Amino acid sequence: MRLRRSRRTGLVITMTPMVDALLILLVFFMVTSTYLDLDMIPMVERGAAPTGHTLPAPDTAAPRTPEAGTLLVRLGPDGRTVVRGQPLTEAALAAALTARVAANPATRVVILPSGQANAQALVSTLEIAARAGVTDVRVVRLESRP
Amino acid sequence: MIRLHRPAPRPRPDTIVALIDVVFFLLVFFMLVGRMDATAPFEVRPPVAGVGEPLPGGGLTVSLGQAGQLALDGRPIASREALLAALRPRAGGGDPPKVRINAHASVPLRELLPLVTALEGIGLTSVVLVVTPTPP
Repeated sequence: MRLRRSRRTGLVITMTPMVDALLILLVFFMVTSTYLDLDMIPMVERGAAPTGHTLPAPDTAAPRTPEAGTLLVRLGPDGRTVVRGQPLTEAALAAALTARVAANPATRVVILPSGQANAQALVSTLEIAARAGVTDVRVVRLESRP
Repeated sequence: MIRLHRPAPRPRPDTIVALIDVVFFLLVFFMLVGRMDATAPFEVRPPVAGVGEPLPGGGLTVSLGQAGQLALDGRPIASREALLAALRPRAGGGDPPKVRINAHASVPLRELLPLVTALEGIGLTSVVLVVTPTPP
């Protein structure tokens, strides 16, 4: 005797709700995502020497000799850079740094920014230094003693 | 009376499958291209620099608005002290989290640099500044 299973009625899968859900997901991801291309500049790195955003207090015992190969770049409130009292344009700063790096590849650049200068000015100065081939750039900040 | 029956329209599964294919493709595309970063509750336009390194994912996002407003992972924070208090428990462990600072391009450095110093002071060893290679 053969038992016949009752035939199932054909299961109908409707595609429309699935497409609806997909479209909602699509719109969600399009709206919530940001598409700005983002990069980063390291400010604090593990293993780096203490970055010392504060200049060390000057030793009174022995006059500090200026470290060879260190160039101090001041960043004014308007974003202009000053090296050794000479205000420099971006191109002049790039040329000066390139010349320093050519003479001494281990040149260290120390940037002393004014608190009024904005982040873009600092980032632009860092970019000029990086493009000139400087590999060691530090940012210092004057801090009043408590 | 003659009733004319129109032939039943044939189901066309092919076209809807093609539609689903396209939508899936778009979905995956936007998921890959976009970043699901926490957005700050104020406007943040990062500084422009062409020499940045690729921004790694993960970590905490500290946003710094033009007027010095602070936000941690999209939630506004009242003051720097509150921010440091929120971060200090996470910074104490053996593997402190990465922190990215999403600062507005025109924020004065007297807001930005003390923030970096303070973050370093509570033991965070990886702090990066977010920049963009293309001006918006």
